[in-house]
Amino acid sequence: MTSSHDLMEGRAPALLTTCGGIDLGNPVLTASGTFGYGQEFDALLSLRGLGGLVTKGISPQPRLGNPPPRICETAAGMLNSIGLENVGVEAFAREKLPFLRSCGTRVLVNFFGTTFDEYLDCGARLAALDGVDGLEMNVSCPNIKAGGIEFGRDPLVLGDLVRACRAVIRKPLWVKLTPNTSDIVALARACADNGADAVSIINTITGMAIDARTRRPKIATVFGGLSGPAIKPVALRMVYQVHRAKIPIPVCGIGGIQDGTDAVEFLLAGASCVQVGTQSFVDPASAERIIREIEEYCRAHGVTDVRELIGGLAIGQ
Amino acid sequence: MRYFDARVIENRSLGAGYFVLRLGGCEPLAVSRPGQFVMLRGDWGRDPLLPRPLSLLSVAHDGRADLLAKVVGKGTALMERSPPGARVSVLGPLGNSFPVPSADVTDLLVAGGVGLPPLFMQAEAAARLGLANSSEMLYGGRTSRDLVLLGEMRGLGIALRLATEDGSLGRRGRVTDELEARLERWRAAASTQILRVMACGPREMLWAVGRIAQGYSVECYLSLEEQMACGIGVCLGCAVAAQTSPYLYVCKDGPVFAAAEVMARATAASTSRSEGGAQ
Repeated sequence: MTSSHDLMEGRAPALLTTCGGIDLGNPVLTASGTFGYGQEFDALLSLRGLGGLVTKGISPQPRLGNPPPRICETAAGMLNSIGLENVGVEAFAREKLPFLRSCGTRVLVNFFGTTFDEYLDCGARLAALDGVDGLEMNVSCPNIKAGGIEFGRDPLVLGDLVRACRAVIRKPLWVKLTPNTSDIVALARACADNGADAVSIINTITGMAIDARTRRPKIATVFGGLSGPAIKPVALRMVYQVHRAKIPIPVCGIGGIQDGTDAVEFLLAGASCVQVGTQSFVDPASAERIIREIEEYCRAHGVTDVRELIGGLAIGQ
Repeated sequence: MRYFDARVIENRSLGAGYFVLRLGGCEPLAVSRPGQFVMLRGDWGRDPLLPRPLSLLSVAHDGRADLLAKVVGKGTALMERSPPGARVSVLGPLGNSFPVPSADVTDLLVAGGVGLPPLFMQAEAAARLGLANSSEMLYGGRTSRDLVLLGEMRGLGIALRLATEDGSLGRRGRVTDELEARLERWRAAASTQILRVMACGPREMLWAVGRIAQGYSVECYLSLEEQMACGIGVCLGCAVAAQTSPYLYVCKDGPVFAAAEVMARATAASTSRSEGGAQ
C-alpha cells in the first residue's frame, strides 16, 4: 500500500494563500520598517518571488524621525526608536511607487497618522493610488507620543478608527496590532467588528537597554521597540490566542521569524501568512530562503497545500 | 553591492585585541574604494544577531579582502576566534569613499586606534597611483600596542608620524596634537602646498580633527562609525545630525562626510555619546 506521504514526494506543494482580501503567491511577506520601499532589496533577492512586501510606514507629511542613537542590539534581538521617519504620501507616490508597481509582488503600504483625521487622509490618499494592493494600518508604534500607541491600545478607540478608515479605504485593510496590551483578542475583535480585513500580529514590544559603563540608556528616546527572535514566543502566543478566539478575520503572523520552521510554526498557530522583519537585516535574502524552506517542510511532511497548515496546531492527545 | 559567502583564509592576531581577518572569495569587493565598508556575519547563531559593519583594510583582485578589527564586544570576539575555513556572509562594498589621491594635494591621513583601515586603504591607493609622496599618515593610540601594521605602512613608502598617549611610541600625546603641529609648520612656512585632511577614529577625536582643520582652513573629511542594522539605508538606525539635511545616514550618505556637514549640529548633540577606543 502506498502512503499519502509517498505520493507527495516530488510534487511541488501549493504555496498560494490568501489573507485579508489579498491573494498571495506564497505566505511570506516582508515587514514594514525592515524592507524600505522594496527597491533597496532588488539586487539582493527576487522581489517577484515574495508573497508580498509591506512598505515603511507612510504619514501624510514627511517625518524626520528621532535623534540618534536610534538602535541597539540586545540578546537575540534589537531595539529601535527610529521615530517613524518616512518620505510622506506625496513623495511616496512620486518617487517610490513607480518601482513598486513593476516589482512583480503584492504591495501593502503601511500607514499612520498622529491624529484621527491624519489616519483618514493618509489612508484614503494611499488607497487611491494605482499599484497599492492593500494597506496596513500602524496603530502600534511605541515611538510617537501624539498618536500611535493610544489608538492601538484601547479597543473602543481602535474600533472607531478602523471603522472610519474602512469607510474611506476601498482596498484591503489590515491592522498591525501592538503586543503592549493585556488583551490582544479584544484589539483583534475591535478590528474585525469594524470592517478590517486582517490583523498583523505583532509589532515590536516596548523595551529598553542600559549601558552600565556610561549609565546611560542605549537609545536616545530611552524606550524602543524590541524585535527579532527574542520576541517570537510572545508573537506565537498572541497569534494563537486570536486564532483560538475565532476572530472572523485572518491573521498575518510577525515576530522573530528566521527560517522556514519558524514560519510554519506561525501558520500552525493560526496565521494565514507571515512577515519577515528583523531577519532581513541579519540576512538580507532571508525571505527568499524562508519560502524555499516552507516548501521543503511541506514536501518532507506530505503537505500538498500550505493552507493545510493554518491553525493546524495539535493540542492535547 | 553584492551579498555573498566568503571564507576566512587567515586570521592574524596583532596583539592587544587587534586582528586582521583575511577573507577569500570576495571578488565582488575588488572594486571597493578606500572608506567603503562591508556588513559581516559569521555562522554564530542568534547572538549576536546583527551583522557588523567593518571598514575594508585592503582588497585584491584575486578575491582576497583584509579587515582589521579590535575585540570590543561579542561580535568582534567571535570574529577574532574565526579559524581559517570559517564561513562568513558579506554584504558590500557599501557606502562612499574618500576623495581620490591627487598629485596636486598632500593628504594628511589621521587615524585613531582601530580607525586605521580606511586610511590604510587610502594610503595603499596613493602608493598604487605612485603618489606615496603626497600622503602622510598620522596615527595615534593609547599605547604602542594600539599602533599596528607599521611595517606594512612603511612598506607603502608614505611618511608615518606616530603618537601615543603614554609616550611609548612616537610623540607623547594625541594624534590631534601631531596634526596641529603639522598644520602649524605648514602655516609658518607659508607653503604653497595644498593640504587635505582625512580622518577616522573615535567620535571625539574626529570632532577635534574637524575643528583643527577648520582653524587652518584646510579641507577635511571624516569617516564616521555608528550603530547600524542593515548597511543599505533601510533600518535608518545610523542617523547623524547634519548641516544640509536634518539627518544623514552613515551607511548610504557616508561613512565619509565633509567635516562641516556633520560637525556643527552633531558636536552640539554629541555630549550624550561616549566612545571607546584610542585617539
